Amino acid sequence: MTATVPSRSKATSSSASLQSFLNSPAANIVLPILGLLGFLTIWQILSSVGLIALPGPIQVLTDERSRYLILNPLYYNTDLDQGLLRHTFMSLGRVLKGYGAAAIIGIGLGILVGSNKVMDKALDPLFQFLRMVAPLAWVPIALAALQQNEPAALFVIFITSIWPILINTAVGVREIPQDYKNVARVLQISRVKYFFKVLLPSALPYIFTGLRIAIGLAWLAIIAAEIVMSGVPGIGFFIWDAYQQNYVTEIIVAVVYIGAVGLALDRLVAYIQRLIAPVQ
Amino acid sequence: MSVFVAVDQIEKVFSLSGGGKYVALKGIDLEIKKGEFVSLIGHSGCGKSTLLNMIAGLDLPTEGVVTLEGNPVTRPGPDRMVVFQNYSLLPWMTVRENISLAVDEVLRDVPKEERQAIIEQNIQMVGLSHAADKPPAQLSGGMKQRVAIARALATRPKLLLLDEPFGALDALTRGNLQEQLMRICEESHVTAVMVTHDVDEAVLLSDRIVMLTNGPASKIGGILEVDIPRPRRRMEVVNHPSYYSLRSEIIYFLNQQKRIKKLRAKKTEPIARHGLEKINLELGFVPLTACAPLVVAKEKGFFEKHGLDEVSLVRETSWRGIVDGIVGGYLDAAQMPAGMPVWLTVGGHQDKPLPVVSSLTMTRNGNAVTLAKKFYEQGVYTATDLKRMLLESTEQQHTFGMVHPSSMHNLLLRYWLAAGGIDPDRDVSLKTIPPAQMIADLKAGIIDGYCVGEPWNLRAAMEEVGFTVATDLEIWQGHPGKVLGVREDWAYTYPNTHIALAKALLEACRYCADPAHTEEIRQLLSRREYVSTSVDYIHLGNPNDYVCSLDRPMREYAHHLFYGDGVNRPSRTEHLWMMTQMARWGDIPFPRNWMEILERVCRVSVFSTAARELGMLDIKYHRGPIELFDGVKFDAEDPIGYLNSLAIKRDFSVAEVAVDARRAAA
Repeated sequence: MTATVPSRSKATSSSASLQSFLNSPAANIVLPILGLLGFLTIWQILSSVGLIALPGPIQVLTDERSRYLILNPLYYNTDLDQGLLRHTFMSLGRVLKGYGAAAIIGIGLGILVGSNKVMDKALDPLFQFLRMVAPLAWVPIALAALQQNEPAALFVIFITSIWPILINTAVGVREIPQDYKNVARVLQISRVKYFFKVLLPSALPYIFTGLRIAIGLAWLAIIAAEIVMSGVPGIGFFIWDAYQQNYVTEIIVAVVYIGAVGLALDRLVAYIQRLIAPVQ
Repeated sequence: MSVFVAVDQIEKVFSLSGGGKYVALKGIDLEIKKGEFVSLIGHSGCGKSTLLNMIAGLDLPTEGVVTLEGNPVTRPGPDRMVVFQNYSLLPWMTVRENISLAVDEVLRDVPKEERQAIIEQNIQMVGLSHAADKPPAQLSGGMKQRVAIARALATRPKLLLLDEPFGALDALTRGNLQEQLMRICEESHVTAVMVTHDVDEAVLLSDRIVMLTNGPASKIGGILEVDIPRPRRRMEVVNHPSYYSLRSEIIYFLNQQKRIKKLRAKKTEPIARHGLEKINLELGFVPLTACAPLVVAKEKGFFEKHGLDEVSLVRETSWRGIVDGIVGGYLDAAQMPAGMPVWLTVGGHQDKPLPVVSSLTMTRNGNAVTLAKKFYEQGVYTATDLKRMLLESTEQQHTFGMVHPSSMHNLLLRYWLAAGGIDPDRDVSLKTIPPAQMIADLKAGIIDGYCVGEPWNLRAAMEEVGFTVATDLEIWQGHPGKVLGVREDWAYTYPNTHIALAKALLEACRYCADPAHTEEIRQLLSRREYVSTSVDYIHLGNPNDYVCSLDRPMREYAHHLFYGDGVNRPSRTEHLWMMTQMARWGDIPFPRNWMEILERVCRVSVFSTAARELGMLDIKYHRGPIELFDGVKFDAEDPIGYLNSLAIKRDFSVAEVAVDARRAAA
């Protein structure tokens, strides 16, 4: 009895200190770093013992070509041979164009569909169907229709990212609380004022959910599109080119770029959402 | 004042998703005057919010029309502002922005500075100046509702519509807001319609309370005028004499609605068995010693003996419940005060004649007049003493309780007072109170005395809050007390059941009259599901003790007769006496076709058949004129002459009462 009591109190005190550590800001930095290091270590071990054919993290850093890429992200020789950051910007430029168009048209159509029952009933099944088509499946159709690589790439981004924006906006408009609508009806508010003072603010959280899902999809789509339709400079092309020449370390560096950019885009949209439509 | 809002024959039908239809409201007629505060009250789902929405124009009626100042309402508009239950503030705007959205939109023609002033003034009015720049999320529920009220009033609507405005608030906040709303309405003379389910809120705020029945096809079940003067204060209205009667009126209505719903839900098709048309019966009774025959028939198996296998006794706390049960058709039969069959037939209930027949008198006597103990101490032992005392204290209003306008208690009390030279309407006032509530009201000093059936006289005496000043032995020995009553159409539809019911109850009456069973019956009656009182208060009586001795009046009680010569057979003369008395006090017109009415009410044939089949051929019928304690003889040949000869009476009218003949023929 006397032996168990102190040991139990020790256990609770250690679990309590763990709890307080988890709540501290340091845990948010230290633990992800530990996780990352663990991942890299396991990767390194696996490639050193030859279980996977990929080079390990150390090789990536020491390899001459990849080190050059890391250290010189902005070099420029030709359109197809330039620094990774330049490639990334090319891709990002495309994403912004395609995604921008998707956002404008998606929100517009979404409001139309959400506020009009006839349109909603007529078009919803079609949207749900098109939403399920994978980005890569659009590539040949886009190429066949538009004949050129660049517009086709933009179209693939557009068509991939429009659905979540459209569908979420429509839901947001449909779900405007009856109370708000009643207030507007009793006050006989003009249509313009209703749009800006009631409809838009009310649907905004839904719209941003759509935008956040769409930005991730757009980024996924552009890499895929660039890999398939070669000859357009961008990070997707870079990966495909490196693969053709068997520079595996280069591919790994590019993948790190892709992940980082995707994460940054998602956070950016979340930040804008917090700025415009704070959580009620 | 002229009609401001008129709701004219509104009907609202909703289409159900399964393809069916649901009639929410039917035949709603309501007129609202300018400056009036009207409440709509009813159970949830009764369509009160739908009605409000139709006045607002948010919803359109399927049939009928709502007009505001003569113009039909076809769409919502800012002249009919709505305060919604869940506030409906836009969360992305501050308090001020919410109000200015409304004001800027509605008062477009007013100059900007003036609009600003209106906004600030309304924020101030609801005491929210400190929170004007906060978003609604930072406000409490009460504050949000104040913003909603300010937003509504700032647009200067003609009509303010409130949909359970305080339903989601805690009691303290609600009370404060009610007072604020009342003050605001009085200051700005707004006409308002409010939906609520809070009885006290309705009484406090309203000029009129509209009570809606349960759906489907809800209609207006009654409209109450609240005569409490304004300005009202929440803590003071409860002291107004009308407050509790209004409150209990609404609560009775709501309870009744709930019970109807329950009865509707379990209402089953008539089950025919043993050659009877219906053996599943719902019998209404009021907890009194006089309900003994029904209790005995149920507990001792007389109903089953005569084939009525599924009889349930429905306990009503007041005679009004019996009336509603019979009128609504969810009671098959009921124990009724002796005058009720005639009263219903002639149209005592809401001026709509409803033929009711009586085939059995179940009890006689059992009533008494009780006065508060203070009268005994002042030496009041008779009606004459009471008159002397009333003349000495004219500045005081004396109130007496009775149980129903058609009950013998009312008629006997009035007769007794009038015989003593007291006008029962002018010298004192009479109030209808459920039997079981009499003692509580006597204790509280709300009434000075009452006439009621046992055990409530004896109990008052034993609890020493009152004393029995006269029993029916001293007013009319052997007067009819409670009778069996059924609707005439019921009697025609279930003739054999009617006879079986009369047989079962007649046999139960005989059982009750046997002194050997007294103890058993007392124990039965005292049970929770029946009279629910101490067995000490329940006595079936010693018929030899005829005089109320004033030497020991604190223990005197009246004596029931359940069975015997001239006890059970329905008597036309007696019903005629009651008819003349009810006409005497202006409760019903005296029917010119009184012969026909009596013929229809008194079903002697059913009684005779029942008695013959039971082999009770030996009970004789009591004939001869009725004579009460004052020696005035009642001449059954000339009731109008009798009425004219009475000194104290109201201006009675004589009229032909058209009783639906089609039912009789059916």
